[in-house]
Amino acid sequence: MLVLTRKAGESVMIGDDIVITVLEARGDVIRLGIDAPRDVRVHREEVYRELQAANREAASPTDEAVAALTEMLRPPPQH
Amino acid sequence: MSMQATARPLEERMTNMSLPTIHMAAPMPGFPAHQRFVLVRLNDEGLLYAFTSIDNPELRFLVVPPEKFFDNYTPEIPDEALALLGYPQAEDLLTMLVITAGRDATSANLMAPIVINQVNRMAVQVVLTGSGLPVRAILQRGK
Repeated sequence: MLVLTRKAGESVMIGDDIVITVLEARGDVIRLGIDAPRDVRVHREEVYRELQAANREAASPTDEAVAALTEMLRPPPQH
Repeated sequence: MSMQATARPLEERMTNMSLPTIHMAAPMPGFPAHQRFVLVRLNDEGLLYAFTSIDNPELRFLVVPPEKFFDNYTPEIPDEALALLGYPQAEDLLTMLVITAGRDATSANLMAPIVINQVNRMAVQVVLTGSGLPVRAILQRGK
């Protein structure tokens, strides 16, 4: 891992068009500003990891699970 | 009422090439290689759809329209996502929730809906950071 020391107000560039600026450091809380092209999605890591895990769990359900869900969504019998 | 549609296997309906291709403006987290999907209706009432990868049809997600299951679910789509979708009109947006079909419980991801611009058919899984919405909300038979 590359380690750099930066002060508040200083930035790091990643590639040509991503700029990460340290806005404020207060104790163990650091506020960062991120300028990136709109097709670069920026997430808090733990949020992204949770979503990745949720998507993998959701992907390609078994036929049994699909059948059970279809059954649950079946309209109640009409009398 | 016709029940034929639900009896036909998904693969058979996948041969229907009239289904419009949906392009991911950004990949779904965990699935970077899958850029193109089709939305296949699995239920006559429009309660359940398959969001199936064209790049590998073995990858599919079950998705549902939120309004059939969750009252007052009107997430605010962040500007970055609207930019990825080409700044659509609100009425052109289609929102779908990704379902995890478990043996005991089925859940819907309210925190990261798939949002589709129906005009240019671009889609993105929007992450509603800071919304406090759950990734796993229990899904029950809707209205």
